[in-house]
Order: sequence, then C-alpha cells, then structure tokens
Amino acid sequence: MKKDELIANAGVVAFFVFMLVQASELKFVRRFGDMGSGFWPIIILSTAIFLSLLVLIINTRKYLQEKKAGAPQEPAISSGEARERRMKLVLSVICLLVYILIMPYIGFVLATLLYVPAFILALGERRKWVLAVSPFLVTAMAVAVFGRFIAMPLPRGVEAFAAFSRIFY
Amino acid sequence: MLEHYLTAFATILLPQNLLAICLGGLWGILAGALPGISTSMGVVLLLPFTYAMSPIGAFTILVSAYCGGITGGSITSILFGIPGEPSSVPTVIEGHAMAKQGHAAYALWVFLFCSIGGGIFSVLVMMAATPVISNFALRFGPPEYFALTVLGLSVVSGLSGSSLLKGVIACFFGIFLATMGTDGITGLERFTFGTTILLGGINFVTAMVGMLAVSEIFIEAQEPFQEYKGAAGYTGMKTKSEFPKFSLYRQNWFNLLRSSCIGTVVGALPGAGATIASFLAYGEAARSSKHPEKFGNGAVDGLMASESANNASTGGSMTILLSLGIPGSNTTAMLVAAFMIHGMQPGPLLLTARPDIIYGIFVAMLLANIFLLGLTIGGIRLFLQLNKLPYSVFSAAIMILCTIGAFGISNNMDELYLMFAFGVIGYFMRKYGYPVAPAVLGLVLGDLAELSLRRSLLLNFGSPAILVTRPISAILLAGALVSIVYPLLKKPKALQQEAG
Repeated sequence: MKKDELIANAGVVAFFVFMLVQASELKFVRRFGDMGSGFWPIIILSTAIFLSLLVLIINTRKYLQEKKAGAPQEPAISSGEARERRMKLVLSVICLLVYILIMPYIGFVLATLLYVPAFILALGERRKWVLAVSPFLVTAMAVAVFGRFIAMPLPRGVEAFAAFSRIFY
Repeated sequence: MLEHYLTAFATILLPQNLLAICLGGLWGILAGALPGISTSMGVVLLLPFTYAMSPIGAFTILVSAYCGGITGGSITSILFGIPGEPSSVPTVIEGHAMAKQGHAAYALWVFLFCSIGGGIFSVLVMMAATPVISNFALRFGPPEYFALTVLGLSVVSGLSGSSLLKGVIACFFGIFLATMGTDGITGLERFTFGTTILLGGINFVTAMVGMLAVSEIFIEAQEPFQEYKGAAGYTGMKTKSEFPKFSLYRQNWFNLLRSSCIGTVVGALPGAGATIASFLAYGEAARSSKHPEKFGNGAVDGLMASESANNASTGGSMTILLSLGIPGSNTTAMLVAAFMIHGMQPGPLLLTARPDIIYGIFVAMLLANIFLLGLTIGGIRLFLQLNKLPYSVFSAAIMILCTIGAFGISNNMDELYLMFAFGVIGYFMRKYGYPVAPAVLGLVLGDLAELSLRRSLLLNFGSPAILVTRPISAILLAGALVSIVYPLLKKPKALQQEAG
C-alpha cells in the first residue's frame, strides 16, 4: 500500500463530501409525493461517502500494518525511467489539452496538423519520415471521412482560419 | 400469413433490395464502429436518400443500417478498446482484454457469430411473438423501470474485477454524474456551478469515450516506445487456431439463449434498448459463470452474452415499433420519421393496412443479419488498415477519432472539454484501482433510475410500497437483491480484497 493511494482514497471521500454539501443546498421544489431535486443525489452521495470511508479505513489499516512490519517496497522501475514515463504522460495530456483549446480558434485542420507531430513526439517517435508524413496523412483522412463524406460540421476556426478551413470542408 | 412471407421474400430478393441490404449494412457498420456517430445518427444520415426510394427499398436500407450499426459498434471495441456504441462497453471489457492477450481474431469471430445469432433469434421472435411481447412491454410503468434499472445496476459485481467495493463506489460516482444538469422533473439546475457546460447533463458517450478510450491512451503513453503495435494481438481472421470451435457455442447454449431472450425483451421496452440489454445479459453471464474470476480479463462467456443481447435488442425494439407504434430506442424513433416520410403511421393498423411493408421489414432484417456475417468481415478489414500505421501515429489517429466522436455528439466544443476531463478522471481511476466500467454503467442507468423512482413515488403519493406491490417490479427487485447478495455470499472475502 502506497501513500499516494491513501491520498487518492481521501480525495475520493473529500469529493463526495463536497458534492453532498452542494446537494444539501438544492432547493426542494415539492409537489405532493415528489421527493425534490436533492433527494436522489443525497442518497447516492451519502452511500458513496460511507463506502469510500470504508475503503479509506481498510487501506489505512493495511498501510499502518505494512509500515509496522517494515516491509521495504522495491520500485519496479528505476527513478530515471519513472521520471521519463511521467514526462511522456504529462506531455501527452498537455498536447490533448492544447489541441482542444486552440481548435475553436484555428480550426480542425490546422489544430490537427499541429497536434499529430507534437503528440507522436511526446510518445517518443523520432523517425523523420513518420514525423513528416503522418500529420498530413492523418489530417487528410479525418477531413476526407468526417468533413467531406459524412459532412460533419468540424470546427472551422475564426476569421482567416475559417476561410482556410472552408477550402477543405 | 405464408402468402405474405412469400411475397416479402420475392420482393426483398430483387437485386436492388439486396444491394440496399449491402449498402445499408456497410454504412451501419461504419457508423456503429466510429465513436460519436451513433447508429441512430447513421440512420438519420441515410433518411434523405430514402425519399426517392420505394417504401420497401427505403425500409430495407434503413433496417439494414440499424442492424449493421449495432454489430459494428463492437469492432473498434475489440480492436482498439473504443466503444463505438454505449451497448459495446461490456465488449470493450472482455473483447479488448482478449485482444490484448493476443486473441483479437478469436474475439472477433466469437463476437461475429454471437451478434448474428442474437440478431436472427430476435427477428424470428419478432416474426412469431409480436403481439405477446408488445402486450408485456405495455405493462411497464415507472416502478417496473426503476426495478429494471436496479437489476441493471446490480451487475456491478461482474464489472468490478478484484475490488468489489471500489467497483460499487465507481458505480455510485457514475449515478451521481447522471444527476448533473437540469432536473428532469423540477427543472432545477444541479451541480452545474453556474456554467452552461453541464446544463444539459453529461452525455454518457462523451464520458465513455473519455474514461475508456482517452484514459487508455494516457496509460499507454507511459509505456516504453514501440515502433509498431497495431490493434492488440491481431493475428488475422484466416488463422485456423483462432477460429472458435463449435463446442464453445454448445457449451454456452444456455448463456446464448438467455442473453438473446434478455436482449429481445429489454429491447422491446421503450427507453431501455441495447445498452441495458447488454449490461443485464453480461451481468447474468458473470453471475452464472463457472469462472467468474475471468470477468474483466477476457471472459469469452461475457463477450458472448453482451453481443447476443445487444443485437437481439434490434428485433425487440422493432417489435414494439411495428405493433404499437412506440419507438423502443433512439434508432427506432428515427424510423418513425421514415414511416411518416412514406405516408404511413406505425402501429396496430399497419399490419392490416400494409402487410407488404411489415413482412418486408421482417424478411429484410432476417437477410440483413445473414449478410452481416460477410459485411462485418469487410468492415473489420477496413478498420484494420489503421493497424498498419506506426504505433505513435495509430495512437494519434485513435485520439483524433475520440475527439471527432465527442465533438460530433452535439457539434459543441463543451463535449471535448468534458471528454478531456473524463480522460484524466479515467486515468486516475485506473491508476488507483477504481474500475471505470461500473462508472459508465451508473451514468447510463442513473438518470432512468432517478426519474422512474421519483415518478413511482409521485404516482403513489410518496409511498415506496408501489415498488413491491406490483408483480413485475417485485420480481425484478427480488432478482436484483439476489444479484447483489449472491456474489457476497459466494465470495465473502471480496470486501477484504479492497486494496486490489
């Protein structure tokens, strides 16, 4: 049992408690026989708090027992590799976040053209031909299938970017 | 009746109608397989093309697309872990797990035969027992729907893997998510925090794509770099060793029959549909399996159950539409529009007024299911082209598919922000041992559970006695109770395994 797991368990409890407080503030718009808007969320959140507290207690006991026994926890991977993996994850998450944040402004085509090389670089791709060809290939396929064939209204962006997007779909 | 069937066969076997089955089936497979383009959207996109067609041709292409869509949803589920349809979530859990273990072709063959089998079963039931099923479905009121959702939610033990407690918490999290947005009864805003993003509630397709597919890519991003990976474990459908033996189906005949029956009956319930059917059948399979420990790690009986049930729901859904004019699912609601376009009103009178259409639809659905065997193999090959991409590009392509899928739900960027948030939530849930499938289950069923409970209480002036005094509701609730208690009695240490 690791410490961060306990923190995660405590975070789950805190989340449900916060939402329960919000639920208790819901005004009950009652008709005769109606339980009101807060009735169901309060039942669900109360049960979830009880269960997540149970998990927290069980895991805390387990953690303390392991600590008392002094069992050393061998890391499965080296700290350097762990840092590299964490970095890849963080970069992948940032790439996706930036992609969906800029898409409404610069449009789907340009956003995808920028996202694909950034994301595959974050994953560790270093082959030049892949980096050069894939953004155009993936974007072209996506625009052809979704923008042209299915005529899905993909984001076009604003101003000059919108005019650019209209060339394709 | 025989005369009607002979006429219907003669009509549907005309080359133009056979072509309609092929085109509709292929289109349905494509729509079902791509996340964000639901089967109902696939049918809607076909509707304008049917204006100029004969009524029988129009319904042939539309029902073929419907059957194809339900089947196609499972292709990307197995190969890439992206559920094309909400009803494919159990298929992602078991089918993709099998693919990761190197048995993608085996999982695909099993899915294919079970889907087709379930579909044909439900069409035969539809042909034989339309009046019986429709009368039964009419007895369902809010208490019965609440009991049905509780029974559906009780399958959580089958979706929880090694940690039942964390699975139940995840399920409650999903039910809570379903309460976000505008209250369906009072119109009050709940948990929106003053934003408009959550005003309409959380679309379960967005949450599903985020929690299942995006989080999977985040998890895989941490793995060491590979030049080629492709669809996990795919060895080609021509490999003999990956072709399931007949004995597998013989051993699972009861599971298949039960799941097909669940699919047909639940499909006939308005508002229930393929998703609840596949979860219920999956839960029943988990409960009665000789190897419940395999569930979540590639249980073939779980895959068979969910696939038979979700395809069987098409026949059930069509039964209630044709006999009563009530759409049992989103897609059949779109078919109501098709009837109106062609100057017809689905319902009890249609069988006597236009038997050519009704029997034509029966035969078209039967043939569509048979044709789907070949068409789906074509669909799988089409999607396997993605397999030839370098792994990094493959991941980027999947992420873009997810993005387009989430955006396509309402053509709104808000869905993308939610998808991203659910991707991160899903990542942390997986990291700390909270299974994501129960959360999706809770989100799918939560809204119906709340509304039907509150409507039941309104009907009975606030007294919950109505839930146990109506026979169907009482039986379903008793079933749910058994379903919840049985795994605890069977595995008393389940709670103690909390840490996973």
